[in-house]
Amino acid sequence: MGIVFSRGRGIASLEQALQEGWVPPSEVEVRGLDSRLPVYPVSAETLTDKAVLAKARRADRFVRMSVLAASDAIQDSGLAGSLDKQRLGVIIATALGPHVTTFNFLDGIIDFGDAAVSPTAFSHSVHNAAASYVAMTLDVRGPTLTMTHFHFAFHDALLLARAWLDEKRCDSVLVGAVDELGTVMEYACGRMLKPAKDGRIKPFAFSLSPEAVPGEGSVFFLLTRETSGAAYAAVEPGDFTPGSFPAGSGLLLTDNSGMSGDESGYRVAVAGGMQAASYMPVFGSIMTGSAFQAAAGALVVKRQMRYACPVQDNPHCVNICSETVAGPVSNVLCLRLDCRGQGRTVRLMH
Amino acid sequence: MGAISAAGGDIAETLECFAAGRRNLGKVTLFASSLDYPVFEVRRPFVYSSKYKSRTIQLVLTALDEALAGAGLDRDMSGRRVGVCMGTTVASQLNDVDFYQSYRKEGAAGMEPVENFLKGNLAEVVSAELRATGPAVTVVNACSSSSDAIGVALSWIRNGICDLVIAGGGDELNRIPLCGFGSLSVFSHKPCRPYDRDREGLNLGEGAGVVILESERSARARGAVPGLFVAGYGAACDAHHLTAPRPDGSGLETAVRGSLAEAGVQPSEVCFVNAHGTATRDNDKVEGSVLARVFGTDAKVLSTKGYTGHTLGAAGALEAVFSALALREGWIPASAGFENKDDEIPIGAVRERTAITGQYAVSTSLAFGGNNASLVIGRCS
Amino acid sequence: MPGISREEELAAIRAKLKELLVSNLNLEGVKPEQIKDDDALFGEGLGLDSLDAVEIVVILQRHFGVEIKDMEKGREIFRSVNTVANYIYDYKEGKK
Repeated sequence: MGIVFSRGRGIASLEQALQEGWVPPSEVEVRGLDSRLPVYPVSAETLTDKAVLAKARRADRFVRMSVLAASDAIQDSGLAGSLDKQRLGVIIATALGPHVTTFNFLDGIIDFGDAAVSPTAFSHSVHNAAASYVAMTLDVRGPTLTMTHFHFAFHDALLLARAWLDEKRCDSVLVGAVDELGTVMEYACGRMLKPAKDGRIKPFAFSLSPEAVPGEGSVFFLLTRETSGAAYAAVEPGDFTPGSFPAGSGLLLTDNSGMSGDESGYRVAVAGGMQAASYMPVFGSIMTGSAFQAAAGALVVKRQMRYACPVQDNPHCVNICSETVAGPVSNVLCLRLDCRGQGRTVRLMH
Repeated sequence: MGAISAAGGDIAETLECFAAGRRNLGKVTLFASSLDYPVFEVRRPFVYSSKYKSRTIQLVLTALDEALAGAGLDRDMSGRRVGVCMGTTVASQLNDVDFYQSYRKEGAAGMEPVENFLKGNLAEVVSAELRATGPAVTVVNACSSSSDAIGVALSWIRNGICDLVIAGGGDELNRIPLCGFGSLSVFSHKPCRPYDRDREGLNLGEGAGVVILESERSARARGAVPGLFVAGYGAACDAHHLTAPRPDGSGLETAVRGSLAEAGVQPSEVCFVNAHGTATRDNDKVEGSVLARVFGTDAKVLSTKGYTGHTLGAAGALEAVFSALALREGWIPASAGFENKDDEIPIGAVRERTAITGQYAVSTSLAFGGNNASLVIGRCS
Repeated sequence: MPGISREEELAAIRAKLKELLVSNLNLEGVKPEQIKDDDALFGEGLGLDSLDAVEIVVILQRHFGVEIKDMEKGREIFRSVNTVANYIYDYKEGKK
């Protein structure tokens, strides 16, 4: 796995963040909003790496986050030397794409006219720019595909990766997710969402109008058919069926983070008795946040460690993980619901 | 199958346009722009204009209706595990210039464009229109988006994820890519000339293509007798450059050979290739060299972009439909715009309407960003 | 402009061009003054590519009012900072 997020880069940063729990977000002045917006941004220092980004001179933050996370996933796997790049595929999920560069491109149209716009900005404003750079940096010669959806892009990316592996189209697949912050997006978040005044995303409030702290980042997984010593977990994407989370030795992670409206549907899901947690308050509200939660879940399985919920507001008295505890975790189930009550899951198994 | 483009509002009109060799291009009328490159706009009005603001969605739903009617399927697929996989480029972006201009100028903007954007994921809209439950994926892979969408659909069916998939893609003619591709200096000021010695670049177009893919078992269960099928899909990345193809074409060659291997088809069994053929100097040279290597210099090659322009996210699906139609009808149109063979390209395109009798065709797509896709389409004998 | 020689104006164009190349092409780690006037911009030398070439067309348009209609011609003009600067100067003289 590889990850770039507000708490840094790499699995050690992820582990540290899960151990430390919630930290206050940054606050940013956004033109057009009356109050400062709490956000979890990726720092400029995190995106500095001359070696990995050698071919990314013109790349924007959207691409840089992706390239770093993808490269780290390969290194982290221990398989860097043995991967056949002709048989390696890349699937990237994004909800909003490289919107910052899209608006930079529109600046060109508005300021200079249709005939004097930047070709560099245009070619980086397309959703598949990240996959292109990941392929160029890592010399990936298998199929590359970018998909977009506001809720289930990551889940469908996993589904497709499994299909590619099953039909032997690839021997391994880099599956990633990336979404970024940006001024216009922050303005829209401030207008359309409910920014958390205390900076805390409260997954277990199951609110009809949940609070949000917009975040950004990228996370990648290297998936193979066979397990290896360095493997974190077996992965299985699936559909949500109500009542499918009985009490047991698993851990249920809910992907709600204030980004998608009414979260009351999650209350039904947690009623089955399985211990629940959510690490979304560590990552922020990201539309492809399910990928980040899956990374946390994979670490839970690998380390056999249930990390404490970073935000433990629990008005409905759900059985949540309130302390970090080592102990057997047979599987982790990540759940994502959309506003119509449709749901998808990612099961991570030891 | 369903198709809408400048060549025609449906399949029948398109075939008639191909037969007549008519090229419906003209100046941009859909929006104001200082750019005067010729484009291929769809002139026909749309059924869905009042329900959806997005022209791309309207194009796709129009093609969808034709595909459903042709397949004898009801629009209401409630409760059926039907997948939807659509390719696009423009429809995935929040690129409303008025919205952004308002925010830049006033520090405020109405949220309606954002709300429409958040409700406008192409595959999700199609899935909701059909009341389908099943995966709904929007592929944003630049020029190979809808070829890849069909490839995804094939994987879903082969892996038992769905029995039926609505696949394809669409893109409207939009000011943003017009400006963007203009800045990349890839446009021609004249009607495009794919594979021609004197080609100067591409013309932008718009449209949508939809295919309904179904497992054999599901088709038999409802008594349907399919005549055409997707036999194979191959995809491979150049890993070379954001906007230029790998000069040796190795990515495309891998994709083409991969699709043939998957289909169990020899190059000699392919009766024609519907090439990506954008008419840029780079694309046609690289692609032509690969096609000559794989299929031989005598292979029949055409580019239908001379009739539709480059429809970006719709291109792969439209060209898959055109390839399927050609197999069904037994002819391919002249490769509009091709007159003189380029000595630097080992293969030329067909100059006139040509009869074809084989069972298989290949359709290729080369995307900005370096992905290459190839589909093998077959006709049931 | 009275009193400014051709050489002085060319020097000013070259300096401005170098700054714009570094900033607009995001040439990290390169200072404008490090770019030699006659160094090849493409291939060896600065190592720019086809995407940079079309970006330079826009730089010329936006900052110098110079249009390049034909990219084939552009290849010759973009050989080095010197050739670009000379073209800009001649273009403006021709337009005046």
